[in-house]
Amino acid sequence: MANGGREALTPQAARSLVDSVDVFIFDCDGVIWKGDKLIEGVSEALHTLRSLGKKFVFLTNNSRKSRKQYAKKFSKLGMEINEDEIFTSSFAAAMYLKLNNFPTDKKVYVVGEEGIKEELKLVGYESIGGPEDGKKSIQLESSFFFDHDKSVGAVVVGLDQHFNYYKLQYANLCIRENPGCLFIATNRDSTGNLTSLQEWPGAGCMVSAVSCSVQKEPVVVGKPSTFLMDFLLERFRIDVSRMCMVGDRLDTDILFGHNAGCKTLLVLSGVTTLPALLDPSNSIHPDSYANDMSHFVQLLSQ
Amino acid sequence: MLTSRVISPSFLPLPPTASTSSSSFSSLRTILSPFLAKTQLSYTRTSRMALSLTARAAANKLENADELIDSVETFIFDCDGVIWKGDKLIEGVPETLDMLRSKGKRLVFVTNNSTKSRKQYGKKFETLGLSVNEEEIFASSFAAAAYLQSIDFPKDKKVYVIGEDGILKELELAGFQYLGGPTDGDKKIELKPGFLMEHDHNVGAVVVGFDRYFNYYKIQYGTLCIRENPGCLFIATNRDAVTHLTDAQEWAGGGSMVGAIRGSTQKEPLVVGKPSTFMMDYLSNKFGISKSQICMVGDRLDTDILFGQNGGCKTLLVLSGVTSLETLQSPDNSIQPDFYTSKIADFLSLKAATV
Repeated sequence: MANGGREALTPQAARSLVDSVDVFIFDCDGVIWKGDKLIEGVSEALHTLRSLGKKFVFLTNNSRKSRKQYAKKFSKLGMEINEDEIFTSSFAAAMYLKLNNFPTDKKVYVVGEEGIKEELKLVGYESIGGPEDGKKSIQLESSFFFDHDKSVGAVVVGLDQHFNYYKLQYANLCIRENPGCLFIATNRDSTGNLTSLQEWPGAGCMVSAVSCSVQKEPVVVGKPSTFLMDFLLERFRIDVSRMCMVGDRLDTDILFGHNAGCKTLLVLSGVTTLPALLDPSNSIHPDSYANDMSHFVQLLSQ
Repeated sequence: MLTSRVISPSFLPLPPTASTSSSSFSSLRTILSPFLAKTQLSYTRTSRMALSLTARAAANKLENADELIDSVETFIFDCDGVIWKGDKLIEGVPETLDMLRSKGKRLVFVTNNSTKSRKQYGKKFETLGLSVNEEEIFASSFAAAAYLQSIDFPKDKKVYVIGEDGILKELELAGFQYLGGPTDGDKKIELKPGFLMEHDHNVGAVVVGFDRYFNYYKIQYGTLCIRENPGCLFIATNRDAVTHLTDAQEWAGGGSMVGAIRGSTQKEPLVVGKPSTFMMDYLSNKFGISKSQICMVGDRLDTDILFGQNGGCKTLLVLSGVTSLETLQSPDNSIQPDFYTSKIADFLSLKAATV
């Protein structure tokens, strides 16, 4: 189903897009930055869009940091972005529990990093697991019994560079044996540009590992789930068609846009290449695509 | 809650995506066409569809053990939950095996557990007082090495192992070079600026099995090999969700490690362990036996029994392992063995009852 490059953004289409959109939703990894490096021309591009009266928010599936920590990252990169302009999958997981009245006397087991733990704490939930469990190992002598906390009522799984068998087994036991235990995934991205030089395995790995052992599918709160869109609509109170999702991944960013009903723009500065987009086996098509943010904005004045 | 879970059609990868080298898959299909013809099942990445296999009649409780024993020449036994549980022999096993041997039956042991090599399993049998020859044991660690041999995997290429000692030993015995294994469990990565993880471009296959030393380093190494080394194979020893590593409780199984690599590469592995028929075809060729002359005895529906059914042989479920009668008879279960019984020692007691 190749669209034969018909979606390539032209100057006219770029102007028309900007005229029809009030709010841009930007993914971060592969759109704004790669690892700790800002992608070239991003600052200027955002400045141009602001001067045209456009509002924006940042919507990232990367759960390693909390919103506060991401605001710090933006600041280090020379951009002043408020923490409530940032929506992370770590925030989404905490909000999901809150909105579903997860009891505060229950615990959350975290297969993930600090970002998830912080966001949970901010809404009043106690979490166990996280990075410290990365140091734990198991003994497989016949007398060894792996114990787990029976008061865990939810397991949240996200990207975890300290992933190991201990955490996998802990999550497995909680989900299988604690009655009604929720299984929540921040996201299922297969890989991501976690450093500027190469892609790294994403939360999709940890989530699949747990899902395969418990033989259950999780509730996914990050893209392409539209869970976070509700927060954006609440914030801006505009029609969803006046929003545009700008991302680098088809099966999260662009699919999110399709599911939510907003416009979509793919940039090729991250995980998706032009051949991958145009390949006949790809069935997810953005409204248009550009090389990167800088290219998108340059088209406006051509 | 079991459905007739469609485990990967052993050697039927998904249609190539943009990132796949399609020529490597098409040449694989040619080599493996006998296996492909058998299991024309479709498998989706995002959901496990309950495939409606030809509706089988509900399993019969085993009453006439003699009839079953006389109707086959070979018994294939799973190990965990059939012969032993953890490090303890299940009641009546030695006498049952002796009886079958005295009736001239061939005995074969097929386990998805890849942590030990055949030789190491031989020692376990010996420690438990059972006389079983190493040549009668087929672990999924052996299956991975045997598979690579069957496709003439070049000896100058390397294998990256996400798994334990058993796989390493079998690869070594078969003359293959390997990297990874338990020692990579100590390797850490730091997602710092400027950090680049290198990988050996000569790795031509990644073998994934149960790995208690599983970590992010190995996930990335395996992912890089599969995504970037042209034609690199992705082989899974097995996909068991849980496994009885100790007799007190179940543990996350090899299916988790395989799931993680599927998650990052978005590719389906070639599965060599049950329920893939690779080991069945291998041993029926090796011993010159026809499938109708075999009875598969196991405790797990979605590996052992499905293995037997895919292979076209008789199937007997024992309730001495992970499956209860309730699970077998549950409306959610659609895998029906030919027979079920509480444990293999019933061959002796049922036999006595019919005399």
